[in-house]
Amino acid sequence: MEAPGRQVVIAEETEAWMERAVNMAKKALENGEVPVGCLMVYNREVIGKGKNEVNKTKNATRHAEMVAIDQVIDWCHQHKKDPEEVFGHSVLYVTVEPCIMCAAALRIMKIPLVVYGCQNERFGGCGSVLDISSPILTDTGEPFQCMAGYRSEEAVEMLKTFYRQENPNAPKSKVRKKECVK
Amino acid sequence: MATLPTSRVCVWDASTLMEPHCKRRKTEEPKDACPWQVVPVLSERELQSVTLMPVYAAPVLDKKQASRLVKEVSALYPLGDYPHLKRVRSCGSVNSSHPLEIILCLAGGKDKQSLQTALELFPDHQLDLSGLGEPFLTQVPVNPPLTRLQYEEAASHWPVTFHENKRISQALSGCLFTAAEKTSMQSHMELAIQAAQNGARQGMKPVGAVVVDPTTGRVLAVGHDCRNGVNPLLHAAMVCIDLVACGQGGGAYDYQDYPSCTFLPLADSSNQTSSCADGLPYICTGYDMYLTREPCTMCAMALVHSRIERVFYGAPSPHGALATNYHIHSCKDLNHHYVVYRGILEDQCRNLSQISVLK
Ligand SMILES: [Zn+2]
Ligand SMILES: [Zn+2]
Repeated sequence: MEAPGRQVVIAEETEAWMERAVNMAKKALENGEVPVGCLMVYNREVIGKGKNEVNKTKNATRHAEMVAIDQVIDWCHQHKKDPEEVFGHSVLYVTVEPCIMCAAALRIMKIPLVVYGCQNERFGGCGSVLDISSPILTDTGEPFQCMAGYRSEEAVEMLKTFYRQENPNAPKSKVRKKECVK
Repeated sequence: MATLPTSRVCVWDASTLMEPHCKRRKTEEPKDACPWQVVPVLSERELQSVTLMPVYAAPVLDKKQASRLVKEVSALYPLGDYPHLKRVRSCGSVNSSHPLEIILCLAGGKDKQSLQTALELFPDHQLDLSGLGEPFLTQVPVNPPLTRLQYEEAASHWPVTFHENKRISQALSGCLFTAAEKTSMQSHMELAIQAAQNGARQGMKPVGAVVVDPTTGRVLAVGHDCRNGVNPLLHAAMVCIDLVACGQGGGAYDYQDYPSCTFLPLADSSNQTSSCADGLPYICTGYDMYLTREPCTMCAMALVHSRIERVFYGAPSPHGALATNYHIHSCKDLNHHYVVYRGILEDQCRNLSQISVLK
């Protein structure tokens, strides 16, 4: 496999990390959450993990990638490492193509490489809706490289299952509405 | 400008937010600052110039045959994908020997570009050609016009129908908002400017944001850029989205180091907000955001995810995603769109970028 920039990616390792990301997404699906899992790997060590926390935080921007980025920042703090150096040598493994927002965030953090599973037809920022990952943009971090298609069938299946469940008339959201009104 | 609009004082607890008067005055603009204008940020589709495509048209030499020809030609070559195109144009005003011209069919493929005769276009006596002159190629607009400007350009090529969007037309002519609405916009932007200045005093980028519920006029959150702190992603818009979440008992970050980032706790209020009716977690549903400058791609998309209703910004940014680099608010492939206006207190917002970051 080609080494993008200074980042060396070994095929077997990629499979192992993606296996973990897929398992995280499966777990999220079982708990009724958006089935996206992601890992940030630095020096063969997972320094950030993320799953969607939109419901928990009532903040629609708390996607798995954003949560993982925050964890890496904390990790840098704890280990007295320079975040720029760490992000600049980290790889993100995520089951679904990052959305436009997350792709822009990854640029800002200057992550060099993203390995992902399936396309994100609704919001994808690495080509599906817009390509935020590769263009030269003023004052918006650095472009990053993408390696797509790892375990994509499984990732797609999980998303489909999730969106089938997510029915606006489902009793769950009614409960939430009531809580909110009171 | 030196006096605070009273509406702001009653919707917001002054002690949590207001700087002492003298402190504010120092960085304020001269009293007779330039007036500002609200400018709608149209979508790419609304801004683009008219695209043309070739069609075959022909003169109608005998006016008595006109309605029959329209009926028969339309049946043979319907223009279903182009309902804005009028089939017939009158040549009354032009120096013409015939009264009308009629669109026969699209001249799409390259092989069809060479001029064809009426008999070639309508072989096998499909059409009674009496009253019809020889076909000619002409250019007509591909898309229906969305703005008056597009309409005027389109109609100069061929007559089209136009369903005017009143909001856009009013906004473009500068009469969408009343003086009272402009006053309240100004007061909200002044809050955002103030937050930006307070942030800058703490070493942050001078960008401020405010979220307002337009149905009640209440300010729900005021925040500034915190990216120069621990987290480079804490841009003003992201901060404000999270502050609104904090106000509803959620939120992902702690703002105790940033006293100018404040929110209105909605749990304590008796009045319900519009967002709840649509269900959580799309907490910004129905809300307005004021930003001192055009947001970046991350922030603009965060506002799509948060289902913001309208965004008002002061000055454009070189990396902006709401006009400059992208039109994220009106991207047709996305499931939520919002309305954007720029230019509110533009000069003051522009001047903010000249504040040197203090540390
Ligand atoms: Zn995302
Ligand atoms: Zn931003």
